[in-house]
Amino acid sequence: MLGDSRKAQEVFHATLREGGVRAARGEVPTEPFWLFRDARWRCLEATKTELQPESFEMDEQDIAPAAASQIERLDPTQLAVWISAAPDPQRSALALFYLDEFDYREILDLAELKLNELSRFLAKGRRQLQAWLDAKFPQAGDV
Amino acid sequence: MRMLSLMRRQRALLNCAPISARQQVDRTMRSAVSRADGSVEFANQQNFDRAVATLVQLVPIPAESAEWFSEKDLVPATKWTWKKMVRNPAVLAISIAVVVIAGVFVFNFLSHLNDFPGSATARKLLSVAASTRPVMLDPVKAEAGTLSDLFFMKHGLEHYDVPPEFADFDTIGCRVFDDDESRRIAQIWVAEKRMQFFLFPAERDTKTGAPLRFPGWRYVHQEGWTGAVTEHSGVCFMAAVRGRGKDLKPHLSKAADK
Repeated sequence: MLGDSRKAQEVFHATLREGGVRAARGEVPTEPFWLFRDARWRCLEATKTELQPESFEMDEQDIAPAAASQIERLDPTQLAVWISAAPDPQRSALALFYLDEFDYREILDLAELKLNELSRFLAKGRRQLQAWLDAKFPQAGDV
Repeated sequence: MRMLSLMRRQRALLNCAPISARQQVDRTMRSAVSRADGSVEFANQQNFDRAVATLVQLVPIPAESAEWFSEKDLVPATKWTWKKMVRNPAVLAISIAVVVIAGVFVFNFLSHLNDFPGSATARKLLSVAASTRPVMLDPVKAEAGTLSDLFFMKHGLEHYDVPPEFADFDTIGCRVFDDDESRRIAQIWVAEKRMQFFLFPAERDTKTGAPLRFPGWRYVHQEGWTGAVTEHSGVCFMAAVRGRGKDLKPHLSKAADK
């Protein structure tokens, strides 16, 4: 979500602290995933104050059959930075989806999205990532 | 139009298809995935998603945060003991239910342990015995053994014989009636200990029609009455007496001695 481990750590600890305080007061919300939702809002708040990426139309490409091998060549941190650079709520959608911890209904609930929105963000994210991969690791057949 | 919206929804679901099998999916998602299974486009998407998810797992977590994801349980799970489990209301309720069900089974088993062909009719006749008054019978003063001829000649009942053990009992009255299954029942009231005798057709095999035989005397109990039943020539004889049947035993043991 943040693409910055120091900030991620701050958010993580702040979220845990807040959760601990609430638990001590007996004010733990009954709704599921409140801790994750809280963490997401903290991430969004943390990125509000920093420099925002210029908004521009990213290239898009159909998913290539060899995409998996291109992804394997990526550095995990590069991927984290790429996801964190996406505008929200696409960023939340991609981060939550690729964490592979939540099903799509839970993601809809957490990111406060509708099914067609989540679907659009994921489809667009894949195509943009593919275009980025193609630019980074050109395939033999690419011109 | 509806078809188009359905296809759009399916497409939307496919875009959110789970990456790994550990994700729980609902029926609509399962159906969308099974429809798309085998398509190259969907296979590419799944491979792409799996590769990204694998890479995401490798994103380094700061050491200070990683400590929080330790394999150890931060809060030790409460240990289950037998004592605790027994006190659990659900376990208690289930145990009680199981005991009651087992009790009913044992009761049914024990009550049918001494069943024999005709025991159901014999029990019904013990209820008849309990509700019979002397005025309901035709007065007959004779030895019980002699009534076989009366039953044969007056009512056409063959083999309605009183066994020798009870043949010399003096009778007060007798009657012949049909029970609720239209079987001819002979009832005899004797003076001794207000005992009653019943003669009724033995239970028959439903396929062959042959009477179901059983050896010796069998006991039945109903509504505070006891009956001793024996079968001979397709007719059952029952001596019924109020109480636990200790008045019947001397006569039956006499028969055994003979």
